[in-house]
Amino acid sequence: MPQSFTIRSIRFIVLLIAALSMVYPILWMLTIALQNSDGLFKVPPEWYPTEFRWSNFWKGAEQIHFLSALMNTVIISVSVTVGQVLSSVLISYGLTRIKFPGRDLWFYLFICSLILPPIVSLIPVFYIFSKLNLFDTWWPLILPAFFGSPFHVFLGRQFYSSIPFSYDEAAKIDGANHLQILTKIIVPMSKPMIVTMAILSFQTAWGDYLNPTVYILDQKLWTLSLAIGGFVNATGTTWNLFMATNLLYMLPPLILFFVAQKYFMEGLGSMNNAGLK
Amino acid sequence: MKPVSTRASRRGHNEIRIGYLFILPGIIGFLTFVAYPLLSSVYYSMTEWSGFDTPKFVGLKNYVHMFTVDPLFWSSVRLTFLYAGLGVPLGLVLGLLLALLLFKPIAGVKIFRTLFYLPVVLPAVASTTLWLFIYQPQYGLLNNVLRVFGIEGPDWLNDSKTAILSLVILMLWGVGANMIIFLSGLQSVPNDIYESAQIDGATKWGRFWHVTIPMITPILLLQFITGLINAFQAFIQPALLNGSKDSVNPNINLMNFDIYRRAFGGHDFGYAMAEVWVLVVIILIVTIFAFRLNRYVHYQ
Repeated sequence: MPQSFTIRSIRFIVLLIAALSMVYPILWMLTIALQNSDGLFKVPPEWYPTEFRWSNFWKGAEQIHFLSALMNTVIISVSVTVGQVLSSVLISYGLTRIKFPGRDLWFYLFICSLILPPIVSLIPVFYIFSKLNLFDTWWPLILPAFFGSPFHVFLGRQFYSSIPFSYDEAAKIDGANHLQILTKIIVPMSKPMIVTMAILSFQTAWGDYLNPTVYILDQKLWTLSLAIGGFVNATGTTWNLFMATNLLYMLPPLILFFVAQKYFMEGLGSMNNAGLK
Repeated sequence: MKPVSTRASRRGHNEIRIGYLFILPGIIGFLTFVAYPLLSSVYYSMTEWSGFDTPKFVGLKNYVHMFTVDPLFWSSVRLTFLYAGLGVPLGLVLGLLLALLLFKPIAGVKIFRTLFYLPVVLPAVASTTLWLFIYQPQYGLLNNVLRVFGIEGPDWLNDSKTAILSLVILMLWGVGANMIIFLSGLQSVPNDIYESAQIDGATKWGRFWHVTIPMITPILLLQFITGLINAFQAFIQPALLNGSKDSVNPNINLMNFDIYRRAFGGHDFGYAMAEVWVLVVIILIVTIFAFRLNRYVHYQ
């Protein structure tokens, strides 16, 4: 039953107001970022950019050594993404497409570890890494990624259970082993899920604050999250420069999202496949 | 017949070996990053330990102190419950509402979806520091907007009445994540159920309560549980809104940050591990309670 024009108009207006209140904070950021120092303190306040000091982006970036922190963050985030996707794809294939005793037990153990906050394991793991003399290096940030991520294993299982098993049977008759089935059949069929995993891994690594703040002291090794967090707490923060660098920091995940949006939404939709059973 | 069955059983053994080989990274990860930390923290929680020296066993001293003379920890427990108890249900209601508004065709559907999802994509450090400025009492965006309506807003983060609300609003800014999952849930409800309900004379509200809601209960529960998990893991928001690990704003001192602050700010790792164990027990109880809701869930 098609909705009447009035109802549709009301719906549209409600959506418009909701969207504006969601997005306006980011536009306000841009307003502050483009002003002279202390743009925040204007009375009456400015609601949209009237000045365009694009040099603020450069100045702010210089203050926090943005380029070196950017390089560090890219290296770490890409390594974490590769590690998490590779290991989680292997694990979720093993948990769904190979039958062996103990499989479900391990799946439940992995899922249970999802409910524990990272802070729970932080201190004992911190102790291990400092005993191994890896404190103030990137290893504690990168290495754990290669041992799977429980959330991705869950996502992978939801997706792989929805692929018909007849493909595997046919490939087995042709003499394929599990690694071949995985790389030649399952992976090509699960592009949206792999893209989703990669984006989520990258975003998580890009946004991680807890681990860098615990493990990294040397400013040369700082990630962007540390640089941004340090900037905001520094005395005499210049809001306009801060907002400019903060915008630069959020740009890469935004671009990534827009580029891969189609796959990403589809991949997230697969969470809906089975619910919790 | 015999050779065949040996081959079959060898193949079976092979499957076990290959299966475990595939999940080996997960097993190693689970043992090193979950099981070992959990078990060892039982011991560490009974020590006095600065994190760099050798832990000194002190029995239940940390727990006794926590239960008798540490108001700050218990206020962090209360705040965390308040944060999850307000934020998660509100997030579900708002997420479902947005999904319903976007479910039927309307101009600009795709743009709306993207705009609602946008805040979710931002790194938490970026969005939290942005909101730190939005909440500034005199010059922040929120009070500027309120002033347009003639309201003088509070000092959001430092007023004990509004501090937790500020954290909840920040959580709700990410409601687009719920919306996306609800949308795909709504799309998977078969149309013929609505049609037959309509033939039986069900009103719009009737169809919503008796068809839509029961049909999406599986993802409702899934999102309720993941929402609770996320709320109980919140760290960046209290950490950045607090200022630094050496000072504390008691109004937004959530459990995870309290633990971090005691360990890395106060070099009291033993005590922090005792808090970790209380946190683990609380999370277990909450999760068991949440999973018990499974019996109200309608599976197709």
